[in-house]
Order: sequence, then structure tokens, then C-alpha cells
Amino acid sequence: MPAKTFVRIADQELALSNLDKIFYPATGFTKGQMIDYYTRIAPALLPHLAGRPVTLKRYPDGASDDFFYQKECPSHRPDWVPTAPVWSESNSRNINFCLLADTPALVWAANLAALELHTSLSLAVAVATPTMMVFDLDPGPPATVVDCTRVALWLKEVFDHYGLVSLPKTSGSKGLQVYVPLNTPTDYDHTKAFARALAQLLEKRHPDEVVSRMTKALRTGKVLVDWSQNDEHKTTVCVYSLRARPRPTVSTPVTWEEVSAAWEKRDAAALTFEAGDVLNRVERQGDLFAPVLALKQQLPSL
Amino acid sequence: MQRPIWSGAISFGLVNVPVKLYNAVRKRTVSFHQLRAKDGCRIRLKKVCPADGAEVPAENIVKGYEISPDRYVTVSAEELQTLYPQANRSIEIEDFVLLEEIDPLYFEQSYYLLPDKGAAKSYKLLMTAMRDTGRVAVARFVLRNKEYLAALRPAGLALSLATMHFADEVIPQEELEGLPGEETAPTDRELAMAGQLIESLTAKFDPNKYRNEYYRRVMDLIERKAEGQKIVARPAAEEGAKVIDLMAALEASLAAVKKKPPVKERRKRASAR
Repeated sequence: MPAKTFVRIADQELALSNLDKIFYPATGFTKGQMIDYYTRIAPALLPHLAGRPVTLKRYPDGASDDFFYQKECPSHRPDWVPTAPVWSESNSRNINFCLLADTPALVWAANLAALELHTSLSLAVAVATPTMMVFDLDPGPPATVVDCTRVALWLKEVFDHYGLVSLPKTSGSKGLQVYVPLNTPTDYDHTKAFARALAQLLEKRHPDEVVSRMTKALRTGKVLVDWSQNDEHKTTVCVYSLRARPRPTVSTPVTWEEVSAAWEKRDAAALTFEAGDVLNRVERQGDLFAPVLALKQQLPSL
Repeated sequence: MQRPIWSGAISFGLVNVPVKLYNAVRKRTVSFHQLRAKDGCRIRLKKVCPADGAEVPAENIVKGYEISPDRYVTVSAEELQTLYPQANRSIEIEDFVLLEEIDPLYFEQSYYLLPDKGAAKSYKLLMTAMRDTGRVAVARFVLRNKEYLAALRPAGLALSLATMHFADEVIPQEELEGLPGEETAPTDRELAMAGQLIESLTAKFDPNKYRNEYYRRVMDLIERKAEGQKIVARPAAEEGAKVIDLMAALEASLAAVKKKPPVKERRKRASAR
């Protein structure tokens, strides 16, 4: 029998298992530490999960081992974990996504070894309406996150022109992501077309640094500006989610000043944050990503 | 280059025009192979007897016609061969008719007929005469052991041949239930309104207007998969060209924003006026 630990969180009792199991062999970070991280980051993280279909990326044997994506909320979920049906065209049926609305639900998911939480850009009640636009900047080796900082600043420059606020976060893996809060009526045809056009414009202006097409061969030494995440059927790693990397790194909101500084100093380490760092940052700075949920903005009409 | 699928001659009266038959239509359908999911091994179909599970080689297979449940009359390939229509390599024109007399229901497959060596002149003559008289040729010919009824007519720079269904293959309307009767006759006013509606939607037929979107999407998916890209459940809604336009619009829009003087200055000038 695997060791079970019973905990009481808010009003719910949960049975947690294998808390001593090492999930990040390079640092010895255990499953227990992972659950502890999610418990403590919950006040900042939960608003970003609220009402959004979430895909659980589960790593039953830790970050360096096999994983699987779980969209359909497990049938053995406790009855206090609500779900939201979302029509899946490719499966011709509704998929019932988990809604992680409170700390007990978050801890329950963490106990399922859902290291990574990937959320929709829409709320479950309006899946066709993205509440934000995202650019996923993915460096093709030998390019690094430092090359992503410069591309992110080019994106910011464009949004500044239009008087739109954009916010950067690390992917927690190799790249950076730039978010544009919308929170106004729109649709994916609109956001995706805009994102794609902007990616192509950057590629045209900076052909040696930027690529807008997925083709692997084109990406060597360049930054892929992935616009295609702006899709009803896709999910993007949620802010404050851990990533399955050698070390327990987190998708972390950063300030534009930090992005500029990392570019000027060519300092990749300045944009790498582990679970402990992120808890400290949130304690000091609060949730830098709060505007993504609150700020009402509209894309310019072209 | 297209390759001919048949060659022979159009014949009517004493005239003979040697021609070659080409496909006029290339169907845009996607065909998939069946593979084993885990390793991509190509699936092979075996012909087996369900009673004993034994594989049956081709030489042991005969054709059977089911005359009553589980009772068959068997026919050998040799027996069938004696019944094949005589392949006389000719397209025998029987009548010349007006195109509008043929209901499009009758048309089956379309082909092009092109002149064979040395036949260009007589071919051109036949085509021009048909065009001038506005007539379509109804003919019979044999293709791959099957006799066909066909309609020949000028289509652009060539003669086209459309195979046709025989009359007994077209389902007679007496077999249909629910045909409208006398009681449903429309009033003049209704007819005038319907006529106006049709008028407002009247256009010149342009086949390029209508695209096989499904085929395009499937091939797009396959191409992207072949390139090893991430596949989304639904491809982008935009056409390539349209996106380029949007990028240009974005570029122009950004340039315009740059040139615009700051809001304050503009206000000042406006109030000074």
C-alpha cells in the first residue's frame, strides 16, 4: 500500500499519496514540496484558473519521466470538484474539463501529479471568446531566452503604439510569453489573425531573428513567435504553473524592466525562477499578472 | 501530361474521325491507407472463408450471383467474357439532338476527345459543324468491356464526351412519394415575389467561386503533419493571401500611428483655428 497522508484543507479532507517521492531528481524536490508550492501559491494562482477549462499534464513518476495530458476530468474526482462541458469537434462529444476553483481542488490535482496546468484563453461559459491574446516565444537553439527578450520588447513596442498594455511571463521552460489582456467581446478568428499578422510583420522586419512558421528547420538560432496558441481548442501553460524541467521552474510573471535588463546584460539566469523564488516574489510584489484578468482592452481595427 | 485511356474513332455515316479519350475530371478526394496505430505497419486485407478461416487464393475465387438467401449461381470469368460487347473501337453516333433536351440527370462521367494522328482537320470540321447547328451527338461506345451511351459536344477548344445513364437506370418519378399536386398551385402574387427573389440572387455561373473546403483542409493538415508541425484541431480560418493583407494593414497602421502628432498638439491646433 502506498503511504497515504490525510489532510484537511478548508472544509475538505484529502488523502495525499507518495509525498516523499522525488519529482525533480536534479534537486530532490519531492511531490510533497510540489503540493506545498501549489498550496502556498494558490492565492495568486486561483484567479487565473477560475472558470477556465484546464488540461492536467500529469507526471506520475516525476518531471523526468512519462507524462500524459488529461482533458476529461477524472471520473473518480471528489464531488466538490466541478467540471465544465466543452464541445470537442475532433471527438464529436463534450469533454468535461475540471474547474480548479479553490485550494482543495488545486491540491487534489497536484496530488494526481498534475505538475503542469494548462488553461484555455477563454472562460468555460464562453469558450469562443478569448479573454486575452498570447504570443509564445520559443527559441530555436542556439537561440535562448535572451533572444526571446528582444522579440518580446519588439512586441511591446507595437502594443505601446496602440496604447495597449501587454505583460510578459516566462514559460518556465525555455521561452517567454507575452499576454495582451482583452476582457471585451471578441473571437478567436480575430485574435488569431491579428497575432499571426503581427508575427509575420516581426518576421519581415527581423528576418534573421524571428520566424512565424512552425517548421523546425527554419527555427535554428531564431525565435518562433507562435501565434497559433490563440485557438479555442488549445491551452497554454498557466501562470504560476510548475514545469517539468530538470529543476522545479515556474511560469513566472516578470516586469518589462526585468525583460529589458535581461536583454541588456544578456542574462538568461535573471529570467529563471524556481518554486521558492516565485513564492518570495509574490509575497513582495503581489500578482504581477492580475491585469491580464481585469484590464479591458480592444485590438485596433485594421 | 494526361495520358489517353482509350483510342478509337468517331463514326457517323461514312465519316470516320480517329480520336483519343482523356479524363476531363480529376477528383479531389483524399485516400488514406490503413496502418496499425502503434507502429504504422501497413494493413493487408486477406480474402478468407469465414467458415474455416482459410485464405482463398485468387485462382480459387469465382463470381456468384445470389438468387435467394445463401443460394448462388456461379459464373466464371470465361463465361462472362463470351458476353462482353464487341470492342469495335468506335464511337457510333446515332442521333444529333439539342443539348437542352437532355436532362442533366442523365450525365455520368466527363471525358475529353482529342484528334488522333492525322485527324485534326476532320475533327475540327465535326466540332465546328456541331457548334454551328447547336447540336449534340448521342453515341454508343465500349469502354473496358462495358457499353456506354454518351453525349458528344464541343466544350471550349475540344470535343467532350459525357457517359450517360440508360433510361432504365434513372428512377422514374412515379416511384416517388410526396410529389406536389394541383392543390399547391401558387398564386400570381406569390410567383411574382419568388421571381423577384430569384432575380435578386441571379448571377453568372462561376465554378471558381465554389471551393472544396474539406479537401483543402485535409491536405493542409497532412502537409503540416508531414513537416512535423503541431496540429491544431481546426486550421486557421484565414486564407494565406488575406493574412498577408492583414500584415500589410498592420504595418500601414503602425506607420500612421507613428506619424500622427501627439494628441495634445492636435487639440491646440484645433482650438487655435
